[in-house]
Amino acid sequence: MTQSFFEWMQGLSFSAWMLEETWASPIIQCMHLLALVAFAGAVLVVDMRLLGRGLIKTSTARLARELDRWMIWSFVALFVTGAPQVLSTALKQYYSPFFWWKMQIIVIGLVFTFTIRRRVAFAEEGTLGHWPKVVGVLSIGIWTSVSVWARLIGLLS
Amino acid sequence: MRSAFEWVDALPSSIALRESLNAYPTLLTTHVVSMCLFAGLIAFWDMRLVGLTLRKVPVSNIPTRLFPWALTGYGINLITGGLLLYSQPMRYYDNFYFWAKMALMAVAGFNMLWFHYATYKSVQAWDQGREIPMSARLAGVVSLVLWAGVVVTGRMMAYAGLMPEWWNNLNIGA
Ligand code: HEM
Ligand code: HEM
Repeated sequence: MTQSFFEWMQGLSFSAWMLEETWASPIIQCMHLLALVAFAGAVLVVDMRLLGRGLIKTSTARLARELDRWMIWSFVALFVTGAPQVLSTALKQYYSPFFWWKMQIIVIGLVFTFTIRRRVAFAEEGTLGHWPKVVGVLSIGIWTSVSVWARLIGLLS
Repeated sequence: MRSAFEWVDALPSSIALRESLNAYPTLLTTHVVSMCLFAGLIAFWDMRLVGLTLRKVPVSNIPTRLFPWALTGYGINLITGGLLLYSQPMRYYDNFYFWAKMALMAVAGFNMLWFHYATYKSVQAWDQGREIPMSARLAGVVSLVLWAGVVVTGRMMAYAGLMPEWWNNLNIGA
């Protein structure tokens, strides 16, 4: 079932076009990395604030409110530049354990970010004890591991 | 220059790194993650200067509070990048994107220093306000473009077959 879905993606004429067009993949990969930099910055500034580092003169809630849009839109950009790569290399992705780890952790990361992390970031300052720190560490850990598995797809698959 | 690259290429430590199965994946992955720390923070600093985001954060807060982290990322980035280069110097010697990346980094560095020692001196006057001087905004835009160029040329180094025609005609590798 899953396998035939990946075979279907690999067989699309768009996938063939991506592979034939010399510049398509490199340009998409560069854009994925630029989106990654924006995403990393937007996430980190808030995570560091949760850890009590970085921009401590501004409240966490205010930083989070401002950077939410950047985080969401750069994630959209990651998706838009990631999906074509999944299509054009569907079978390689299917057989790579790192791809599946990456996707599973992304799902965990999204759920975590829009439930727990959001609540903690918007909560009244100083009411949650050590929880903001725990959340900050988890967020950094989740997205770092996504990047590590992502890079290893290309290197070790 | 070429002889320096060839000399490194023949060093036992370079060969050991090149032949290690784990070195390249580990170094490249660390290079990308540390790039996120450095470039991610610098991008938001630049965008603050341009006036795109974080407008309620005093400008001078960012260098004092975020630069130590950004520089830590940069340090790891330079070390891992340097080791990648050290492990395969002849792979990058005739690589257009490698030299373009080094040039862009140098210009981005000059832009930073210039901004720091000239424009930034007057920061007290525009620290809190929304009116950021044109020279500071310009430095922000230039920095964004240059660092984006470093990211792009960094990724393009893997595409030895996609060098510009005129570069190939120089025949630097021969
Ligand atoms: C749902 C959204 C995403 C999709 C569909 C996606 C898909 C992909 C694919 C197919 C690759 C190429 C892997 C290969 O074959 O070498 C890739 C690379 C990569 N992705 Fe994603 N990705 C997504 C989101 C993310 C996120 C959220 C992060 C980090 C927080 C991330 C970080 C990376 C990194 C670091 C690389 C390696 C970049 C390179 O050097 O080319 N991606 N992604
Ligand atoms: C002395 C400084 C640096 C050196 C010597 C260096 C060297 C390298 C080398 C040798 C590679 C591997 C290329 C390949 O085999 O495909 C690489 C990749 C890369 N570098 Fe650097 N680098 C440096 C600094 C930077 C900086 C400051 C950035 C970004 C702000 C950066 C971004 C990248 C990117 C995005 C890649 C591609 C990673 C990937 O394939 O996922 N590098 N660099």
